[in-house]
Amino acid sequence: MKLVKKITQSKLGVICLVTILVVLFFGVTTTGFLSGNNLNSIMISMCLPGTIAIGMSMLLISGEIDLSAGYEACMGGLVCAMLIGAGLPWPVALLLTLVAGCIMGGILAFLVNKVGLFGFISSMAMISVYNGFSMIITKAQTITISTDNAAFFKIGAGSIWFFPIPFIIMVALMVVYGVILYKTEFGRTIYMTGGNRAAARLCGVNRKKITTILYINNGALAAFAGAVVAARMHNASPSACTTGATDAITAAVLGGVAFRGGDGNMVGCFIGLALVTFFNSGLTASGLQAYWQIVIQGLLLFAALCIDFFNARARQKALEG
Amino acid sequence: MTHSLEFKGIGKLYPGVKALDDINFRAEGGKVLALMGENGAGKSTLLKILAGDIRPTEGTYYLDEKERVFDNPHDAILAGVSVIYQERQMMPALSVAENIYAGFLPKTKAGLIDRKTLYANAQKIIDKFGLPIKPRTPVARLSVAYQQMVEIMKAYSRNPTVIAFDEPTASLSDAEIAALFRIIAELKAEGKIILYVSHRMAEIFQLADDIVVFKDGKFVTQMKAAEADENKLVRAMVGREIGDTYANLKRNDTYGDVLLEVKNLNNKRIHDVSFTLRKGEVLGLAGLVGAGRTELVRAIFGADKVESGEIIFDGQPGCFKSPYDAIKAGIALCPEDRKEQGLVLFRSIRENTTIPVLGSMKKGLFLNKKLEKEITQEAIEKYSIRTDTMEKLATQLSGGNQQKVILGRWTNRLMETKLLILDEPTKGIDVGTKAEIYQMVCDIAKQGIGVIFISSETPEVIGVADNILVMHNGKITGKLKREEANEENILALAMD
Repeated sequence: MKLVKKITQSKLGVICLVTILVVLFFGVTTTGFLSGNNLNSIMISMCLPGTIAIGMSMLLISGEIDLSAGYEACMGGLVCAMLIGAGLPWPVALLLTLVAGCIMGGILAFLVNKVGLFGFISSMAMISVYNGFSMIITKAQTITISTDNAAFFKIGAGSIWFFPIPFIIMVALMVVYGVILYKTEFGRTIYMTGGNRAAARLCGVNRKKITTILYINNGALAAFAGAVVAARMHNASPSACTTGATDAITAAVLGGVAFRGGDGNMVGCFIGLALVTFFNSGLTASGLQAYWQIVIQGLLLFAALCIDFFNARARQKALEG
Repeated sequence: MTHSLEFKGIGKLYPGVKALDDINFRAEGGKVLALMGENGAGKSTLLKILAGDIRPTEGTYYLDEKERVFDNPHDAILAGVSVIYQERQMMPALSVAENIYAGFLPKTKAGLIDRKTLYANAQKIIDKFGLPIKPRTPVARLSVAYQQMVEIMKAYSRNPTVIAFDEPTASLSDAEIAALFRIIAELKAEGKIILYVSHRMAEIFQLADDIVVFKDGKFVTQMKAAEADENKLVRAMVGREIGDTYANLKRNDTYGDVLLEVKNLNNKRIHDVSFTLRKGEVLGLAGLVGAGRTELVRAIFGADKVESGEIIFDGQPGCFKSPYDAIKAGIALCPEDRKEQGLVLFRSIRENTTIPVLGSMKKGLFLNKKLEKEITQEAIEKYSIRTDTMEKLATQLSGGNQQKVILGRWTNRLMETKLLILDEPTKGIDVGTKAEIYQMVCDIAKQGIGVIFISSETPEVIGVADNILVMHNGKITGKLKREEANEENILALAMD
């Protein structure tokens, strides 16, 4: 009984419980939901939103946001595919893709920390910029990657034992960033500046430096996620990955990352991601039309934000006594 | 019939503080009643209750013999109560007319805003006040003084029975004050009840018929203005003698070298400020709210810009460009607003204690959490912070314990604090904990740390500080030693 109480009292416990219920529900009501094949494809579809959610969670915890992360991923995929198409060896192309991601994140950091705009607004504007650019550089065509890049394709679709390689990469990144958040000085200052910007400043925390690093990091992770998708699809399209930011924010906020900053962790982020992905896959398995799934995806984000909002309001109430 | 307003047994309790305690008095129509008292005496709280902005914990008031306690400002306005707060509550992008009639815009039959009537009515009021402004101008383009006048016109437009002013002249020039006083005289002639809060003695004697004095949330006395004089008023406001709390403090009596020298410091809010502070000295900064004390220490700490002037800290000349630089040099600031600027409320005591020392608490790449726990435990013991665990969130602590966490943050063994700045460290804290904090300040001074102690409670400054600077309008208006300071002479220096 004690364990039950402990689980239901912690936010993460509740989300965990809900995830398990979702898995059980679809496992019982649909056929093939828990088959090896389906689990494999669930893991693969976690990779894009998951990798983006790493950088996004850190941004959210620090009190910032990047709505254009999906389009940064799209640009990343295109850059990578084009560089490989231009004859560069894939490791070099991937490295340059990361550089491109850093530049995209750097632009946002500049807009937020030097110009003084809100991340929310600036990144919204960047969506359009990247979307237009991606159409221009590809002439709105899909760029195919030639089949003699087998090693590169492995990053997107290979597997070690049961686990897809991109999934292993994502989990490894989550562990690394989780440790950074939990164990390092840098990680701690992210929470402090997100929790109370003014107080952190008066304690000597340099918010601009922190958020600049986080924006650049987020851009790089997004571009990398886009490249991984390109490696899986063997091509890059100007319409790929574009829902990345929304999916990542849904996962992170469902997993307890505070939309207004100051709280959250990578474990929660992963559980939120699992919940969203299992849920989507379950809907597919139960034969729901794909368009309805998009609607439900939106409702999930809505639910996540509601939970976050009510949490914040309860805190505010507690504050006013 | 003359209007009347009577407060009966009004009390307001905030967690840990009694802002108002059993307030009883009566105001009559056709008279100006001045409310006086030091900062925190409860004047503004009473006005907020009057305006329906907050509810009293106990008691009620009667307007024209009818019991009235409002749930929201709108109902209060409809019942004829208008309160003009010290902080302007404008919608800067909207026009003068729209601000005057905010919430009560005239409408056409179709339910749209009747702009013709709106502007015509607004113009009438502006003419009555004799001001050179136009109804269509956005208020953002007006000077602060005119914005204040718009606020007053807004109150006037609602044709109230009671009209209350909270320090209305603080931002007005002489000509505008004259216009305001003319309006007040007219309101008086119309038989309205006027409540007037001000720190300016001259105004009180010019305007008021009756004077009510508050002290520490309690009613002290009511007198006729004709029978009052400045000395009598100040004595009533200051009230009790400084208690034994201060006499029992174990102070530091040996000062070291000069620690901080400030020469002709200027920025938008402070003017030509110069002073010195020695190691181990507690320097009090007295003055009224808005006198520029917070702005002065923020400028020293690198949190606000310095336009000109010189700071020599611990032998090193140069102003600090950011709090980070100031902290590195050994300055610590405990800000006025603990919740907004002091604590990361939804993180633990542990995390709040160690923010500035994270850099010197490392074990390889990672934070040394064992050391972190030790440091936090030491702070909890040293300042007797009442909590069962260091993982408790800062928001769950009482005000006094929150302040102790901040003190612990700046005085732990990893910090090399040389100058500790305390901005209103006892605000909203109960009497017992206040005494604890005074002793902590003295103990900190004994370690050779220089302390700047800001407080709006004058007895506290006199009781704790070795030397006292009094500020007014961003300038230092007096320097006093503790022996020569008393509440009367500090209050005189802090006011016009």
